[in-house]
Amino acid sequence: MNVPFRPIVSALFRNRAGALLVAAQVAIALAVLVNAVYMVKQRFDLIARPTGVDENNIFVVGVTGFTKSFNYAAMLDEDITWLRSLPGVIGVTATNSVPLSGGGSSDYVKLTPETKGGRQSLVNYFHLNEEGAKTLGIKVIAGRWFTREEVQPPGANLFAVYSGPIVVTKEYADRLFPKGDALGKVVYGSSNQPLTIIGIVDHMLGSWLTGVNYPSDIMYMAFQPSGPGTRYLVRTAPGQRDQLMRRVEAELAQRNEGRAVNYVRTLKLYKDRSYLTARNMSIYLVIVTSLLLAITSFGIFALATFNVSTRTKQVGTRRAVGARRLDIVAHFLVENWMIMTSGVLVGSVLALAAGHLLSVQYELPRVDLYYIVGGVLAMWVVGLAAAWHPSRRAAGISPALATRTV
Amino acid sequence: MIGYYFRLAFASFRRTPGLGILMVLAIAVGIGVCVVTTTYFHALSGNPIWWKSDQLYAVTLDNWDPTEPADPARPTLPPDQLTYKDAETIWHSDIPKRTTIMYRGYGIISGDGVNGPLKPAPATTRVTTGAFFPMFDVPFQYGKGWSDSADTAPEPVIVISHELNQKLFGGIDSVGRTIRWNDTPFRIVGVLAEWEPQPKYYDLTTGNFDSPEDLYVPWKWGETLNIASDGSSNCWKIQDITTFQGFAQSECVWVQGWVELPNMLARSRMQSFLDNYTNEERKHGRYQRPQNNRLTDVDQWLKDQKVVTSDNRVLVGLAFAFLVVCLINTVGLLLAKFLNAAPLSGLRRALGASKKQLFLQHMVEVSTIAGAGAVLGLGFGALGLAGIRALYAMTATSAHPTGAASLMYLNVSSFVTAVTLAVVATVFCGLYPAWRIGRLQPAAYLKNQ
Repeated sequence: MNVPFRPIVSALFRNRAGALLVAAQVAIALAVLVNAVYMVKQRFDLIARPTGVDENNIFVVGVTGFTKSFNYAAMLDEDITWLRSLPGVIGVTATNSVPLSGGGSSDYVKLTPETKGGRQSLVNYFHLNEEGAKTLGIKVIAGRWFTREEVQPPGANLFAVYSGPIVVTKEYADRLFPKGDALGKVVYGSSNQPLTIIGIVDHMLGSWLTGVNYPSDIMYMAFQPSGPGTRYLVRTAPGQRDQLMRRVEAELAQRNEGRAVNYVRTLKLYKDRSYLTARNMSIYLVIVTSLLLAITSFGIFALATFNVSTRTKQVGTRRAVGARRLDIVAHFLVENWMIMTSGVLVGSVLALAAGHLLSVQYELPRVDLYYIVGGVLAMWVVGLAAAWHPSRRAAGISPALATRTV
Repeated sequence: MIGYYFRLAFASFRRTPGLGILMVLAIAVGIGVCVVTTTYFHALSGNPIWWKSDQLYAVTLDNWDPTEPADPARPTLPPDQLTYKDAETIWHSDIPKRTTIMYRGYGIISGDGVNGPLKPAPATTRVTTGAFFPMFDVPFQYGKGWSDSADTAPEPVIVISHELNQKLFGGIDSVGRTIRWNDTPFRIVGVLAEWEPQPKYYDLTTGNFDSPEDLYVPWKWGETLNIASDGSSNCWKIQDITTFQGFAQSECVWVQGWVELPNMLARSRMQSFLDNYTNEERKHGRYQRPQNNRLTDVDQWLKDQKVVTSDNRVLVGLAFAFLVVCLINTVGLLLAKFLNAAPLSGLRRALGASKKQLFLQHMVEVSTIAGAGAVLGLGFGALGLAGIRALYAMTATSAHPTGAASLMYLNVSSFVTAVTLAVVATVFCGLYPAWRIGRLQPAAYLKNQ
């Protein structure tokens, strides 16, 4: 097979407009494709991060005591005892805020007790009980979790200060003590209260999944959250969650008239809600980009079909003077490939420019070069696939056509 | 003549219906994507109180840490909320026409509904001064808000939302009834009409597209019943806070403050009031950052607080890139179609049609295609918006559609977008092919026949 480039080029120049239009489409499509895939990839990575908690088997119960004579501490004890007694429940803890939910508490921690000077770091904190680690499904990799005796009763109000043993995540331990000797150290909270690190857990994402620099900087305190409302985290055996949720919803409110059961929700719901924007953006990008590729490949197909139909006679003549079917297919595919290539060349520049604009204007990370390489290869494949059928049709043109006047 | 051109356009469509449908589809998909995106964007970037946006000002004061700004991502802005005591100082100023200071608290509703005792249930509550209702033009279905004196006393009066009134009382006029809020009896004085300002500009701290609260209680009830913020509170200073009073006196910010200033004079007087106040506080050791007291109108507030995210802008850019590809595609198809029918045009030229007439004839054909594309595009747009609502509904925690999802319907701006884009499509797609077909030498095509 010999591919005559010159006739292809001169044929292309006879129908400049069509070729230019397709090249322009390919260029824009490539620029969008590369950046969209990159943005979707970032969101996928974000959503796919391990949370460190057994998110599919945990549910959350929100309750609030509202009567004036309400005994909050007694309610905590009764509720937790009852929840733990249910078959299929693995662990129960009260908590001051729901992990992964986008709402939570943070405080400053210092390495020295001085008010001024000492380096402060902001840390997300949770008030949990002795089953906290078991309930979340996080692993203690050094030291230990709290004992039942260590868990302090709820403070008089929301501003109660905790002082005592704490557990931290490995990420946060290493940030506080880069040498890795955090275990046993004493740090200080914002009221200068001493906090002793008695355990380190391997990994967990805290209250905020997006918009924070260190989502895994967490400290756990052996503390019953202050009233008059609280949330319980309940971890169940796999497959038991939904049935237990229904039971808790039906029975918990009746066990104490002085409090309202605000909601019974899966932890997964909170996680999904935190990632809602990222997920919706990905879905949108994927749909629009697929439509764009479809439209572009259809444009390529239409142009190739048009080229074949307007050159029926020329193809017939070439066949009559000895060109094989393969030569005709090659002619159209190479022509198409040339259009595609000029399109992807311009498109690569556009993709880089768009990526640059996005990173400068919107503080998004700049697109990696190999995404462009991948995009170019993808566009070539799309182009070949779209031009395949029209080229085959061209090869089917009978040499006898050359002898007729169309 | 135009009628004749339309008939020609239909005849041309019948000659190659497949190509015609594809062109309509390409334009429709392009317009559909743009309609969805601009409707979405329009909803996010809307100003729900545009008619008095320049009279309502969010008050922010920079009481933050001397060593770092409240939000490192936006270092020039003060914190987005006020401390309790600063909020009360602003409230006591008589310069503004009205002043609203408020926060979101928690509340449990109990008592008697229409069908006997209510099951105690949580209801989101706004602890606010009574100016809230006239200031933000909140519509009432029954009754009204409360007077200034009710805020200080505080009087046991409460305003409930339309939705809560439906839930508790089946929508009847419940003014005068008593319900219990956090186990304290309150008399209902007002029931709001349906009201869903989006974005929730007057308090963005619990989410830009959060729903308005179910209940409104006079300001001093917060202090009386020790109801702390159920929204967002931020602290920077190491202070030993153990009580509500301590929290109220601390440097923690958790109160939203708004003032209504009818003219520029009032505005500048308010600005000096704030500056004098913080200067005075500075002498007592507070306000150690550079003076940065702001009165921000609603438009600017929505910009400052980044209600429209960079993602949203990227989406709009993407949608238009997509539309351009769809249009280029259509240009290509039109060119092919017109050139295929060139002998016909040659014949018409030979019979006396002018270049201008041929151009016009083809433009009519293109605008018909674009018009059909716009109509179908609106259909696609409606589908796309339904899809977005479904995406939101998956993680909704309440039954009625709220927040941004409530805005995801075709509206006037969607129609304007579709019509504008159809015109753009006609001009963009039609000009070149129609011009080219007009320039053809009739002789070349007549000979071939």
